[in-house]
Amino acid sequence: MNAEEVYQCGKCGLCLSVCPVYHVTREEGTSPRAKVQLIKHFSEKDLDSSLYLQELMRKCLMCGACTSFCPSCVDHESVFMRMRAEMADEFGDNWKLRLFFHLLSHNERLRFVSRFMHIGDGLVHKLRKSNLRDIPLKRLPQLNTKSFDRQVAATNPPQCALKGTVLYFTGCATRYFFDQIGWSTITVLNRLGYQVDVPKEQMCCGLPLFFHGHEGQALDNIRSTINIFAREDVDAVIVDCATCGAALRHEYAKVLSNLGQPTEKAELLSSKVCDVSEFVAKHVDDLLPVLAQSTEAAIQISYHSPCHLRNSQKVSQQIETMLHSLPGVEYVRASDCESCCGGGGTFFYEYPDITRTMVTKKIENARNTGASLWLTGCPGCRINLQGNMDEGEELTVQHPIEVVAKLLTGK
Amino acid sequence: MHFLPPNHYLAAEPYVGNNMIRDAILHTLTNILGPQRCLYRKEDLITFSYDAHTDESLPDAVLFPTTTYEVSQILALADQHNIPVTARGAGTSICGAPIPLHHGLVLSFTKMDSILAVDTKNRYAVVQPGVANADLQKALASEGFFYPPDPASLSVSTIGGNVAQNAGGPRCLKYGVTNDYILGLEVVLANGRVLRSGSRNVKDVTGYNLKSLFCGSEGTLGIVTEITVRVVPLPEAHRTILAIFNDLENTANTVSDIIGSGILPAAMELMDKVVINAVEDSAGIGLPREAEGLLLIEVDGIDEAVEKEMERIVAKAKTNGAVEVQEARTQAESDQLWTARRSAYGVFARLAPHCIVEDATVPVSNVPAMIRGMREIFDRHQLKVGILAHAGDGNMHPLISTDQRNQDEQKRVDKAIREVFELAVQLQGTLTGEHGIGTAKLDFLPLVQDETMKSVNATIKKGLDPKGILNPGKFA
Repeated sequence: MNAEEVYQCGKCGLCLSVCPVYHVTREEGTSPRAKVQLIKHFSEKDLDSSLYLQELMRKCLMCGACTSFCPSCVDHESVFMRMRAEMADEFGDNWKLRLFFHLLSHNERLRFVSRFMHIGDGLVHKLRKSNLRDIPLKRLPQLNTKSFDRQVAATNPPQCALKGTVLYFTGCATRYFFDQIGWSTITVLNRLGYQVDVPKEQMCCGLPLFFHGHEGQALDNIRSTINIFAREDVDAVIVDCATCGAALRHEYAKVLSNLGQPTEKAELLSSKVCDVSEFVAKHVDDLLPVLAQSTEAAIQISYHSPCHLRNSQKVSQQIETMLHSLPGVEYVRASDCESCCGGGGTFFYEYPDITRTMVTKKIENARNTGASLWLTGCPGCRINLQGNMDEGEELTVQHPIEVVAKLLTGK
Repeated sequence: MHFLPPNHYLAAEPYVGNNMIRDAILHTLTNILGPQRCLYRKEDLITFSYDAHTDESLPDAVLFPTTTYEVSQILALADQHNIPVTARGAGTSICGAPIPLHHGLVLSFTKMDSILAVDTKNRYAVVQPGVANADLQKALASEGFFYPPDPASLSVSTIGGNVAQNAGGPRCLKYGVTNDYILGLEVVLANGRVLRSGSRNVKDVTGYNLKSLFCGSEGTLGIVTEITVRVVPLPEAHRTILAIFNDLENTANTVSDIIGSGILPAAMELMDKVVINAVEDSAGIGLPREAEGLLLIEVDGIDEAVEKEMERIVAKAKTNGAVEVQEARTQAESDQLWTARRSAYGVFARLAPHCIVEDATVPVSNVPAMIRGMREIFDRHQLKVGILAHAGDGNMHPLISTDQRNQDEQKRVDKAIREVFELAVQLQGTLTGEHGIGTAKLDFLPLVQDETMKSVNATIKKGLDPKGILNPGKFA
């Protein structure tokens, strides 16, 4: 296995100070440094593969904090992905995860299943005692009545003067669970003068697959997404999910490079990708004059900075600044706004004890801000945070774009 | 092997490299600590075989004690069967101190991490060995106090580890080292007996000063299980400045001039051009790439005093040829400079597969000669080296970028290091100001230790660890 990145590691241990998993376990084995060293021994054939080694590799949120902090510039994400691929090739995954990835990699299968999920959805919410690990099933988001791509038009022109055109990569979460995010995005971008095109054939970004070591399986997703979205003639490719954003902006080129494929189109796509909150922050001066000024008391809001937006895309401060500047809301910063929520995609399912310690603290600190709205641009974080809060709790988790849209339309 | 912890992965045989630890012992240890806190699969052993130095050695088992009693039981067992025992904190040591050179048991203290007491009225705190230095600082800061020793690894390095190495740091220039801040220690001895030495009093000369014996003993005389530290009030104000020079000689002269004139900044760090550029490549905070040398100086204390001291320092820097003096205007700017400084070791680690850092130390008035000498030595041996230093106390940190797989280069590195130590000794200096001997400096001990010293060390070691099971293979 090619693992040249590991030779950059000087074992200085600074990564231990930013690794959220190490913070909980205090075991060297779950630190980024340990994973790098294990991969080194494995690639030098000094360590055999094993289920335990696979587990040690998976006990990682893939949050990217280590990579962004490492003074020796070790690219943890790349080498961890490759190692997960090695382990997945040899040992596979448990059947539930395999089924999940199987669905994500094929659009038609996902659509087919979602129709059945509608039937089950009603039942599920009546099963009071059922849980997905720590999250009661009835606190999971409900399915959209119709998947967003079947509700929305392919082209959504603005009513005001046209400034430009953007493509909208909706991602699975908005498409199946959070159509209000889709509508909010279109509303806000239209008001800024942008036409929003929603390509119909778009698929899952594939990140859950290749983060788990199934790069080959994700190739269809990657190729299709690049073919549809890597266009010179658009102003931006908008994403509303931090993880999809990281995939399109950052990971695609890496995966293709790992598989020995050309990366030019992936790089073009990368240059166009913009998170919707980031886009709004960039154009906030155009937006502020048209936002509804309310005489009612300002709503307290707080923010959770998703790891995949902050670490790999380096977008965080500007969103907080944008939230500060909005009328009608008062932004109160949580003391651990930039700490990982512990969701980590499927991590909360695989290591609920670790997630529990992390998410409990996040929720407590958010409650302490006195906010009634807790904003985050990642559906994974949203499901994890909201799912672990109490029934009937006042604090609600939403996407920043929903708040902006509500201010725009005057609620 | 009949005994298996309740975990479905354990189909493979655990690694028993040299058969030193028998099944029964592992069984007993697992009974004492539970299967989650007693590890012996090869993957786990690998992750406890290294620190931030280049040497590595596999233990036979890794244990995570959380109470003094557990440590005592483990040592009693180790004593009974002559099993080497090596304590470990976060494993950020850069000299090989926590490496289990003779295999055996590694005791990792990261889970024994409670702050037991904070008493600012009486100016002490009581901590377990696994408390990270930064976590102690955070707990104290909320009460307006701090714990001065600030090694660069403080974000994760543990107080236990700091004590074992008598850790230093930039602030030690003004405030002193770990040993100056220990009021009391609880130590488990080689046979499992528990010793409590010192007290919560700032002055206590009852009996031998055993805390000073254990502090810096690198785990060779006993295993520390509780530390009572002295804490001091946070200074009212502090200011950070960057003095930039076109000449490394001028930089070094400024250091001895400032200290020699009676001014004692809180910290004074020197960086040469190689280090400046490496750190700037990584952090991109606007350090002057063309400078031959720079001094990062921090002054703290009462506002008016800080003002005055700053003026005098700036004047000295300018007299000695500083081309520019910049002041960090906000806390954020100051933090940025210090974060960049602390990353220097890691930054260097990416320049080549391995980075060796030494910490030969000389009296401050010999700093110019030492720096001049080191540059000459490293240039002559054609090595890529950056010079970093806690210049105010003469503590040099040459950062040597190398590839240990290159035999030829290793010979040159070894020669150069030996010459550096010989130079330090010539200049009334010593081998290590704060990192410790570990495995890295064993070969050079004869330069500074005569037969009498060796004999006294051996007597103490024999008295406290007659079977030689505590971190064997190191300097004692």
